[in-house]
Amino acid sequence: MSRFGKPCTGTRFAQIDAVANPQNAARIRREFADWLARQFTLDATKASDVVLAVNEAMANAAEYAYVTAEQPGAMHVVADYDRNAATLTVTVTDEGAWRHANPATTELRRGRGIPLMKALTDSAVVDSSPAGTRVCLEWNGINAARARA
Amino acid sequence: MASQPAASKCTIEQQRIGEIDVLSVAGVVDMLTAPRLGEAITAAGKDSPRGVIVDLSAVDFLASAGMGILIAARDELPASVQFAVVADGPATSRPLKLVGVADIVGLHATLDAALAALTA
Repeated sequence: MSRFGKPCTGTRFAQIDAVANPQNAARIRREFADWLARQFTLDATKASDVVLAVNEAMANAAEYAYVTAEQPGAMHVVADYDRNAATLTVTVTDEGAWRHANPATTELRRGRGIPLMKALTDSAVVDSSPAGTRVCLEWNGINAARARA
Repeated sequence: MASQPAASKCTIEQQRIGEIDVLSVAGVVDMLTAPRLGEAITAAGKDSPRGVIVDLSAVDFLASAGMGILIAARDELPASVQFAVVADGPATSRPLKLVGVADIVGLHATLDAALAALTA
């Protein structure tokens, strides 16, 4: 069904060319949470914040990016850790155009993804162009786990 | 529902405490499972309870899809049915507060506190 990116090694997590659907968003969220727990020593709040923000970026891709397409296209999730700067950056990109299926009837239950991403991160930038959307999430002061095999 | 994968685990148990229907939710409330929670709240409201409490104490992941469902399902309940949410923790009460959903739905840290609020 979907093609998967390179296995996760070191301080990079990558899922390239996953079909942008809710099932893959849930699967990648779990894999990313596992990677996060292995790589970093985060308190429960920070770990929860990071996973939720990444989920919301993927949820937007899964829900909105390919609304007008016949079938969902790809989404890419890449997390990079800069040890010197202690910064974790996660980008979620798609090649669609975020369109709301039916804003009039669904406004009550929608629209919290972006405010949530902004509240959960040190920086959240959504970059939309006709070629797709790129969400860049960033956290500072992230410490790598000490023990290395 | 036949092709629904076991991607996100969510269980919803309903019990009646006095005149209040309590929905105890455990696991993950995301895009995949949130619609079931919405249906459960709507179904509980049809029992003519005095109130419906959604207890998220055993939820370990709550996405905005779940928050939207809480608000939408609450708004669809009959006016006579009160509503409250129980949550306490980084994965649940924290995001509910961050985007102001806590103020809309009536958030309590414990089931006892929610029951006390609805039966007062």
